[in-house]
Amino acid sequence: MRFKSVFAALAVATMALAGCSVDQPGQDADKPTIRIGYQTFPSGDLVVKNNRWLEEALPDYNIKWVKFDSGADVNTAFIAKELDFGALGSSPVARGLSAPLNIPYKVALVLDVAGDNEALVARDGTGIDTIAQLKGKRVATPFASTAHYSLLAALAQNGLSPSDVQLIDLQPQAILAAWDRGDIDAAYTWLPTLDDLRKSGKDLITSRQLAKDGKPTLDLGVVSDQFANEHPDIVDVWRQQEARALTLIKDDPAAAAKAVAAEIGLSPEQTEGQIKQGVFLTPEQVGSPEWLGSDGKPGNIAVNLQSASQFLADQKQIPSAASLETFQDAIYTKGLPGVLSQ
Amino acid sequence: MSVFVDIAPDEPQVGSPAPVASTGKWRGILTRAALPLLSVVVFFIVWQLVATLGIWNQTFVPYPSTVWQAFIDVSTTHDGVRGYAGYLLWEHLYMTLRRVLVGVVIGVVLGVLLGLVMGSVSWVRSVLEPWLTFLRALPPLAYFFLLVIWLGIDEAPKITLLALAALPPAAVATTAAVVAAPVGLQEAARALGASRTEVIRDVVVPSALPETFTGIRLAVGMAYSSVVAAELFNGIPGIGGLVKDASNYNNTPVVLVGIFAIGISGLVIDGLLRAIERRAVPWRGKI
Repeated sequence: MRFKSVFAALAVATMALAGCSVDQPGQDADKPTIRIGYQTFPSGDLVVKNNRWLEEALPDYNIKWVKFDSGADVNTAFIAKELDFGALGSSPVARGLSAPLNIPYKVALVLDVAGDNEALVARDGTGIDTIAQLKGKRVATPFASTAHYSLLAALAQNGLSPSDVQLIDLQPQAILAAWDRGDIDAAYTWLPTLDDLRKSGKDLITSRQLAKDGKPTLDLGVVSDQFANEHPDIVDVWRQQEARALTLIKDDPAAAAKAVAAEIGLSPEQTEGQIKQGVFLTPEQVGSPEWLGSDGKPGNIAVNLQSASQFLADQKQIPSAASLETFQDAIYTKGLPGVLSQ
Repeated sequence: MSVFVDIAPDEPQVGSPAPVASTGKWRGILTRAALPLLSVVVFFIVWQLVATLGIWNQTFVPYPSTVWQAFIDVSTTHDGVRGYAGYLLWEHLYMTLRRVLVGVVIGVVLGVLLGLVMGSVSWVRSVLEPWLTFLRALPPLAYFFLLVIWLGIDEAPKITLLALAALPPAAVATTAAVVAAPVGLQEAARALGASRTEVIRDVVVPSALPETFTGIRLAVGMAYSSVVAAELFNGIPGIGGLVKDASNYNNTPVVLVGIFAIGISGLVIDGLLRAIERRAVPWRGKI
C-alpha cells in the first residue's frame, strides 16, 4: 500500500518535472514544427536565428533550433530523422553523402567558405618558416574537422604525407593550452583560438590560400530529402532568409556581428573581426556555377565534395569515395539562382 | 566495466566435503558456464535479426559481420594501412591498459593509505571526507581540461585522471572497513599486550582487507570507465582514443569494436581481480 503511494508520488513528480522543462518560448503544440540544427561558427544561420527572421516569415510553424557541437552529431541526428535543416562542414557532408551513411539530404546553401579564419600556424622559436620544415614536428588539429582536411591538403601540396609529421588530435582550447606549454610546434585551427596562437606564432598557410589552390573547405546548409519534397515552399523561404543574412553580412557587417555575437557569447567587436576573416558569398555567388550552380545544372561544389569524399576514403574512414554524380544529385538547385533574390 | 559489488558468492568449493548430489553439480556447471554462453548466443541472434529487419539505419545497427570485418581490419595490416590510425587493435589496447595500470596503482595505493589513516584517526577523517566526496562526485570530463592545462597533452594528464578516478572508491571502502574492524578483537589484542601499530598490522588490516578488495575492484572499474574521457585529447594510440575518433567519423563498426574490446578486457581484469582476491583474502566472510 505504502509502496504504491510512493510510486504514484514519484510518477506524478516525474510528469510535473517533464512538463516544466526549460524550452524555447513561442512553441505552439497545434502548429507543425520545423527542426533546424545549427552550430556556433559565425554564419548567416546565427543572424537568421537571432533576429527571428524565420519565425516571422513562417508564422504558421514552430521553429525549433537545436545546437550541435560537430558535424558528426548533425549527421547522426539526420540519420535518426530528427532534423529538417542542418548546418555542417563540407567534410561531414561528404561523409554523410557517401556509403555507408548515404544520408538522404541535399546541399541547399553555402553558409561560408573558410578564409583567414582557419590557418596553419607555427610557434615562434621553433624555427619553422615553411610547411616543408614541419617534417617530424608535432602538429595539432581537431581530427575529423575541416581544419584536419586542410592540414593534410597543405602537407600534400608540399610533398609530405601524414606520417611525415606527428599529428595530434586536440580540440581548439586544448591546442591553446598545449601551445602555451610548448608541447606542440604548429597547429591548424580556427578562430577565436587562432588569434591567440598568432600572438606568438606565424601563419604558414590559411584556408583562403588553400581555397585558391582548389581545396576549399566550406560550411553548408542542408535539407532532408523528405522535407524538401514535401515542403519546397518552406525551403524557398529558408533560403531567402539565409540570403538576406548573407546580404546583411556584406552590407552591414556591424549589425550582422551584433546578432552573431549574441549567439556565440563573444563581444561584437571580436565577432566582427572573425566575420571579416571568413569568406561570405553573396546570394549571386551562391547561385553561380562556381558554387551551387543553377536549376538543373549543379555547380562546382559537387567536385569539392567529391574530393573531400576521396580524402576520407584515403583516410580509410569510408570504404570508397562516392561518384561525382552522387554529389551532383545531392545539390538542391531548384529555382536557383532566382529564388535567392526574391 | 561492470563491477559486481555483490560479495562474490563463495563459489561451491571444488572437492568440498559437503555431500553434493551429482545432478546438483551438473546444474551448477550448467548455470555457471552454459547460461552466460547462451545469453551471448541469444544476443548475437537478436542483433543479427534487428540488423536484417533494417528498422534502423546501418549506422545505428550494423550487421555483426560488418563489425567482425571492422575487427579484422583494425587488427591487421590491409591495403598498406596498419590497423586504425596506424596502430593495431592490440597496440591501442596495450597503451590503454598500461595507462590504466599505472593510474590504478597510484590511485589505489594512495587511496588505501588514505583510507587506513582516515579509518584510524577520526580527526583526519573529518578533515578529508568532504574533499573525497567532492572529488567522487566530479565526472572526469569536468576537470580533464584543467589537467591538460597543468600537465600537458602526453601521458601525465591521462594517468592523473585515471588515478583520480581510482582513488576515492579505494579510500572510501578502506575507511569503512577499518572503522568496522571488530572492536572486540582489537581490545583483546591490546589486553594481550599488543602495541597500537601491532593492532593495526595484525588485527585491523586483515579484517579490513576483504572490503578493501571490493574497493579496489570498484576503483579499477571507475578508472576503466574513464578511459574514453582520459583519451579525449591526443588519445591515439589508445582504445578510448579509437572510439572517440571513430565516432567523430560516424564509423559505428569501429566504435563497436572498441566498445567490445573495452568491455571484454574489463571482464577479464575483473575476473583476475576476483581470483587474486580469493587467494589473498581466503578469510573473507569468515570472521
